[in-house]
Amino acid sequence: MSDYDIPTLKENIDRKTVDKVLALDVDKYKYGFETIIESDKAPKGLDESTIRFISAKKDEPEWMLEWRLEAFKRWQTMQEPTWARVNYPKIDFQDLYYYAAPKGSSGPKSLDEVDPELLRTYEKLGIPLSEQKILAGVQDPEGAEALPYSGNVAVDAVFDSVSVITTFREELAKHGIIFCSISEAVREHPELIKKYLGSVVPVSDNFYATLNSAVFTDGSFVYIPKDVRCPMELSTYFRINERNTGQFERTLIIAEEGSYVSYLEGCTAPMRDENQLHAAVVELVALDDAEIKYSTVQNWYPGDKEGTGGVYNFVTKRGDCRGKNSKISWTQVETGSAITWKYPSCILRGDGSRGEFYSIAISNGHQQVDSGTKMIHLGKNTSSRIISKGIAAGFSDNTYRGQVSCHRKATGARNFTQCDSLLIGDTCGAHTVPYIESRNSTAVFEHEATTSKISDDQMFYCLQRGLSQEQAVALIVNGFVRDVLQHLPMEFMVETQKLIGISLEGSVG
Amino acid sequence: MNDQTPIRLSGAEETLLAQLESVGAHEAAGVLRASGLPTRRVEAYHYTDLRMLLSDVPPLAGPAPASGAPEFDIPGAYRIVVANGEIQNAGTAPAGVAVSTRKGSPLDDRDDVLVRLNTALVGTALDLELTGSVDAVIHIDRRLEGDAAHGASAARISVAPGATATILETISGSEAAHMSNGGTTVTLGEGAKVTHIVVDRLPESATQFGTVDYRLEADSRLVSLVINAGAALARTQVFAEFAGERSHSDFFGLNLVDTDEHRDITLDIRHAVPNTTSTELYKQIARGRGKGVFQGKITVVKDAQKTDAQMMTQGLMLSEEAEILAKPELVIYADDVVCAHGATCGDLDDTSLFYLMSRGIPRAEAETMLIRSFLAELVDGIEAEYVAEALTGLIDSWLAKVPK
Repeated sequence: MSDYDIPTLKENIDRKTVDKVLALDVDKYKYGFETIIESDKAPKGLDESTIRFISAKKDEPEWMLEWRLEAFKRWQTMQEPTWARVNYPKIDFQDLYYYAAPKGSSGPKSLDEVDPELLRTYEKLGIPLSEQKILAGVQDPEGAEALPYSGNVAVDAVFDSVSVITTFREELAKHGIIFCSISEAVREHPELIKKYLGSVVPVSDNFYATLNSAVFTDGSFVYIPKDVRCPMELSTYFRINERNTGQFERTLIIAEEGSYVSYLEGCTAPMRDENQLHAAVVELVALDDAEIKYSTVQNWYPGDKEGTGGVYNFVTKRGDCRGKNSKISWTQVETGSAITWKYPSCILRGDGSRGEFYSIAISNGHQQVDSGTKMIHLGKNTSSRIISKGIAAGFSDNTYRGQVSCHRKATGARNFTQCDSLLIGDTCGAHTVPYIESRNSTAVFEHEATTSKISDDQMFYCLQRGLSQEQAVALIVNGFVRDVLQHLPMEFMVETQKLIGISLEGSVG
Repeated sequence: MNDQTPIRLSGAEETLLAQLESVGAHEAAGVLRASGLPTRRVEAYHYTDLRMLLSDVPPLAGPAPASGAPEFDIPGAYRIVVANGEIQNAGTAPAGVAVSTRKGSPLDDRDDVLVRLNTALVGTALDLELTGSVDAVIHIDRRLEGDAAHGASAARISVAPGATATILETISGSEAAHMSNGGTTVTLGEGAKVTHIVVDRLPESATQFGTVDYRLEADSRLVSLVINAGAALARTQVFAEFAGERSHSDFFGLNLVDTDEHRDITLDIRHAVPNTTSTELYKQIARGRGKGVFQGKITVVKDAQKTDAQMMTQGLMLSEEAEILAKPELVIYADDVVCAHGATCGDLDDTSLFYLMSRGIPRAEAETMLIRSFLAELVDGIEAEYVAEALTGLIDSWLAKVPK
């Protein structure tokens, strides 16, 4: 159990919830092992030559290098943002490695070519990379237990700066789906990259996005053709292994008209006493009637009990509902990272498009979370829904920061936002900062944030039907929490439950 | 903002700087020179970018010519006129009211440009000591008279333990592009009961900045109401500190916004001790191209267990181009609290409108009825009859006014 003093609790908070949050004690980070593996690194520091080095390593065309250099120029004129409720010592961007790759990993053709040490790392993490075995129906007695989810998931595994393996590619190719690392996409599908890269998160969008644009090393690329429903979950697993490295991955997902894709993302890192930097950019594009479902289980190393070490997670994620009636849904479970600065957003550009954001953010130890979303209503009759649950324990700070804005021409926009916070102990903080900006009179925005009890009406309804107080609370809360949990794909449910294993009962206590 | 390169000051900033230097407020001038007026990058001014909005600053106010009629003539009220910052106390104070003056603004130092301007520019402030049960409404009539002037004024109101009082502050003036910067501190002693109302009735051409700072000792009760319905550019800041247990406050506020007006109410309250409660209800109505801003921050410190704070903000948009911007914020460090905020924003409800119209009420009248009912709960908390009447009258006249 934890060393923290267990604070006196309100009666109506479920003891189990508290125990489980405390059990998430940062000291017990189970993914904290380091893999000793030979790696190729760019020289420390960041200047034009670093970018040329990365670009050359990736065998990139000239236009890509130009794009990166342009971004680097912009980045040098930018300032780190300071508005978030997070505190950390100034990052020395010259004291980082911007590229680290496992040796001999440039484009493995099959699993045999992958360093077995690497495969073992992923196995330890519970990531199924052995697609042949699954395809062949072979049950590996050792591997079977390591597979946390059913076989039908295509995985892109990113180790430090490079994608080491992408599974199920042939199977996916039969449907016309492209699922590969972004560096491969730059070489093989330049027309798509040129058209879409940076179209959702512009190069100079913000400090970290610009840095990413200059030095991004790898990530996943997904293209779903017209009217195709992706037959399996696509997944990326990110792992920072090397010391002093920053991971800058870039993900781009394009869903053509009428298509559907569900994408999962998971992350871990070894335990280290220095801070590692992770500044990713994720761009989603949904065209007419397309739907993208993006789920994240973020479990970067959160630092130790005293708050030393841990990953700085500065991520820009944005989805563009470009077509009419398109839909983008973000689901996130945030348990790791020393600092999280992350606002998965939806630009609701197409008429009738829909954005959703479901989030569970748990902070413990000295973690600082400043996370939320942006719903930008531009098209007509667009709707969005935000459900956020924050749980703070230890000495952590947990902030929800969300923006809902409606453009002058966005008639009929509709938003519903609900944020609930639970504090465990009196040394942590839970904060809510919504920005509600309505510029059209037909827009209807509703926002509620609470740390309060279950509504009396609900309780009364249950009680008068003969349920006991406790049963009633359990019933209402369970129905309530399902809002978020049920939006996680099946494949992630198991892992999420293992990872958080937490019941949100008491969040409305 | 960039720390390294000095910023280029706007015309308004240059004028303010010269005014600060002319009164010898070199420190305030230094801060202004270094960082300028707040832009949207400053979180507390996210929706009120003063550097962009404030284009002209009139010269510092000189002695006031003869004052006009009071903005609100409340029967039986004890009226103190503060014209161009000068206190003109002609009447006889009722029992329990001690009127004097003090040197300098009573506002505490804060990292806020409006507070800094007020403390730098106010020479003499009004000082009120209230004891016992003060029956008469105390009306502080702040005015800016004559040609366009930048006037700062301040008042310190100290309410003794157990005392009760109703205080009305109005800000008004002659038809000119004035800029007013008012500061008020209200301290509620143990068990004191206070209703404090601030109404901006400056002409549209004017700019109004106001700061109210409350401090509540144990068992005190406060009703606070702020109405911005005058100057085209207005920002009223309300700070409150719950310093004694079992204190309670109901905060109300209203922005009535017409075309090209920008009105901001910013609330920042701190529950600093256990067992304090508050409710906050802020409403905005915008028509034409008006912009209404509400920012509300509730901070509950670590030891302030059993705090109950309920904040609500509602916006009503009566035109296509109106804007309602709201940022209700909770900052909570105590675990046994009940805190919530809600925010809604929209047009008049079609179903209600249909209900009324189907009963033969013309559309315009039905709309007015709905708007009145939307606003009724703000004035309901005001017990002083004549004051409530005057406020209702103010709202009605705004509704009757043909929008530009």
